[in-house]
This record gives sequence, structure tokens and C-alpha cells, in this order.
Amino acid sequence: MSNSEPVYSNYGIYEVNENLQLSIPNTEIKIDKIGENAFSYYRKDSDGKIIEKMIPVKSDEIKIELAPIPPLNHPARRTGHVFLKFDREIYLSENSAASIFVHCPIEIGIFLINGSKRESLDCVTCNSLNSRFGLYGPPDTGTLCKYAQVSLATGYDDSIPYIEGVLKIIIENTLSSGQTIDKVVFPITKNSFYYEDSKTIIDGIKITLKKRAVVNIVDVKTVAIETDWTVSPTWEATTVRTSVEMELE
Amino acid sequence: MPLELLQNLSEMQIVGELTVLSLLIGGIIMAGGVILAKIAKLLFHKYYAPTLPKDTAKNLSKLIYFGIIVISFLGFTSSQGIDLSGIMVAGGIFAVVIGFATQSVVSNLISGVFLIIEKPAKHGDTIELPDMGISGTLLDIGTFSSKIRKFDGTVIRIPNEKFFTSNIRSLTISTVRRADTVVGISYKDDIENAISVIKNEILVTMPFVLHVPEPEFRVEELGDSSVNIQVLVWHPRDDWSQAQPILLSTIKRALDKEGIEIPFPQRVIWGAKD
Repeated sequence: MSNSEPVYSNYGIYEVNENLQLSIPNTEIKIDKIGENAFSYYRKDSDGKIIEKMIPVKSDEIKIELAPIPPLNHPARRTGHVFLKFDREIYLSENSAASIFVHCPIEIGIFLINGSKRESLDCVTCNSLNSRFGLYGPPDTGTLCKYAQVSLATGYDDSIPYIEGVLKIIIENTLSSGQTIDKVVFPITKNSFYYEDSKTIIDGIKITLKKRAVVNIVDVKTVAIETDWTVSPTWEATTVRTSVEMELE
Repeated sequence: MPLELLQNLSEMQIVGELTVLSLLIGGIIMAGGVILAKIAKLLFHKYYAPTLPKDTAKNLSKLIYFGIIVISFLGFTSSQGIDLSGIMVAGGIFAVVIGFATQSVVSNLISGVFLIIEKPAKHGDTIELPDMGISGTLLDIGTFSSKIRKFDGTVIRIPNEKFFTSNIRSLTISTVRRADTVVGISYKDDIENAISVIKNEILVTMPFVLHVPEPEFRVEELGDSSVNIQVLVWHPRDDWSQAQPILLSTIKRALDKEGIEIPFPQRVIWGAKD
């Protein structure tokens, strides 16, 4: 009896004529043709939660794309920020700079391809235990973030398939004293995600520790990376706000 | 023929200088004003109100509607050659009399205006009025009263004066909220171990509980039958239902798994020696 490693589906575009089965860690996805112009979508995750959708289409086939997306949707979308707590502190002496790679949790988006547009169909997380919230700041005015404890990565090739991408952080300390950094909080909605096979890399961020008047501040900026990997579509919540035309009373 | 009709109408005097024709013109101005006000209100609701907060939309809608009505009324009075200065003086005296007679109504009106200006809570906020023992979702701050939908689905109307002068606890203004409960473990069990297993179960099975700040544990009391531990967890403000109601069952499950006893109240009775 063989004890082979499970084979998972790579990121990318899939054409569905009759049926398609995708396998990613802890999750099973099935798309079946159920009529002349209709497909069914079925997803079961590790918690046993099942999502089923019907997709009416104009043609007799559909295309879907599997791609990494920011880790903001599980267990529910509440914020656009992430809080990455490093597994070890980084010390920067005065007027110095450093580049590090860190792992960053990801989610996986399933997009329906409609012409040149990508429509958000569903999203999953393969590591629900690392999909938690954290608060940066005081309870009344702080920023709610998706929180994860992350380890340093050796480079862009160190991505953990389907679970963590790699993010490059450039840290610059322009202060006149050494500084210790053990976490970073930033809006991840500005960062693009890129994939190749089952690996993910993410636009980097540049952190500058500087002095403004008498206050030490941290400036965080997104740094786009140049790569030939495929850029992921932007995930958009498909629940839209509609205004029903009626009296306000 | 129509000119003759108009001529006749202009000659038909009702009172003093007031003729049937001028009254007709005044009526047309008023009717036009009301129609215009309704159209303006409708267009506002259709195109602009959905993009504004509900309170603002409602107040602006009233302002537009009654603003046009008042302008139409002024047009009507001027078309009739009515001198408003006398009415103003009489109105002033009348207002003082009415003001004394309807103090609570005026008080509610003024409180409503202050509530709209100060905005201690806005439409859709979950609030609690501890003085009155009321909590629920704020539906509306009206001219004289405010409406709150309680958690049991009923709607309660509170006069604005009472609402304005009472303590208002906002449950949605902060980014996060805290849920807490108390659990007792037996004296023979290790407190540190119990805290460790509870914390682990909470962090693994309650996805809406924040990891920063971490769940907090305080030994609250060395009770008659148990060591009472207070458990405090933070959660996103909108996810109270994913934390407080399931916190105790999560703790019990954790203690059951580890065989940690949650003791019943007990008494040790010593019999006196003969």
C-alpha cells in the first residue's frame, strides 16, 4: 500500500466543460455542469462547512481562476489591515537599513472569468488556526487587524504552498539610536499578490523609522515588486449594498 | 372669453382688497409650492439620500420639504397683499403663551435639536441607557422623540428630553469589546493548568477572540466550594454573539477534556463528639 503525498491543484486558470475537481489542503472544490447553461459550485472545508452555489452562464463552458488573495476574509471580513508578529526581534542600530523576508498568511480566491473581468466567487483558507484578529492600539481608537505570528523566510522561494506567501520588508532606521522591531502593522489591500504553481509572493513594504519634530514615527509604504509571476485578481466582496426606492420613514 | 372671466374674478371682492382672482393666484402658488416640495423630496430620496447617513438624509429631506412650503406660503401672503408684521407680533406673544403651556413639548423639541447637533449616537448604533434599563439599536432621533429597537424586536419610544439627559452607553463606538465570565474549579486542581487549557481552547475554537490583547485570567475568589477564575476576552465590536454566548460552553468543554472538576456547592459537616 503506497503512502504517497497528496497532489494539490496549482494556482491558475481552469476551463470547465463538464466537471472539475480541485484539491487544496483541507478543502475540496467541485464544479459540475448541471444544465445547458448552468454549473454548480461545491466547496467543503476542513471544518466540514459546505458552500454550494449555482452559476447560470451564457455559454456552455466556464473558466475559473484559483489565486492567492490577502488574508482578510476568514472568519469574516472586518478590516483591511494585517498585524504580523515576528517570531524573533530585529535589532537595527542607528542610521542603518536591512531587508528581510517574512512569511505572510494568505487565503485562496476562486474567481469566475467573465471576458477580461474576474468575478469573486468564493474564498477559502487552508490554515484557519492562523486566521485570527488582533488589535493595534487602545480599544476605542485602535486598529483592528488580522493577526498572525510569522517566521522569517529565506527568500521568495520559501513560500509555503497554499498557506503562506513571502513578503519582503525593507527597514530603515534614520533615528540616532538603535531600535528593536518585533511586529509590523499595515494595510495589505494595497499589496498585489503574485503566484506561480503553488507558491505566492507579495508586494513588499518599506518601513522608515524617523523623527518628526520631537516624535519618533514609523512610516510604512508599499513597494511593488518586479516579477514575471502571475498577478492575482483583486478580491472584492460580492455582497453589494443596494438602495431600495422607498420612503425613508 | 377667458379674459372676461378673469376680469370678473378680479372684480369679485371677498374681504377688503382680497378678490377671488388674487385668492386663486395664491392657491396656485401654494399648490405649486406643495407639488414642487414633494418632487424635490422625491428626487432627493431617489438620488442623494442613499449616499448620506440616514439621520442626515431624513433631516435634510425635511428641511428641503418645509423650506419650499414656507417660501410658497410667503409667496402666497405677498400675492394677497397681507402685511405679516402684525402676525409676527401676535405670533410672538402667542408663542410665549404656547411655550409656557407646552413646556415638555418644547423641551423635547430643543433636546431633539441638541441630540442632532451633538450626535451622542447615530442611526444604527447599538446603545444602552443604563438609567432606564434599555438597550438596543437606535432607529431614529425624531423631532420630539427617539426610537430604539430592543433586542427582543420591540420598538420603544423615548421622549428626547429623557434621552438627552440620560447616560448613553455606546456599544459600537469602540473598535473592540470585551466579553467576560467566571468559572469555578475545584481546590485540588492546578490553577495554572486550568488557565492554560482554557486559554488554548478559546484561542483554537473561538475565531473571533482577539489574540492581541490575549485572553486574560484573574483568580477572582477563593469561594466556599471552588476557586473562581474570571475569564476576559476581547472581540471585534460587531461579533459579540460569537464570543459572549459561547464563552462559558467553550470553557466547560476545555475543563471536561482535561478532567478538571467544576465543583458543586458543598458543605463539610463535623459531628460533635459525645
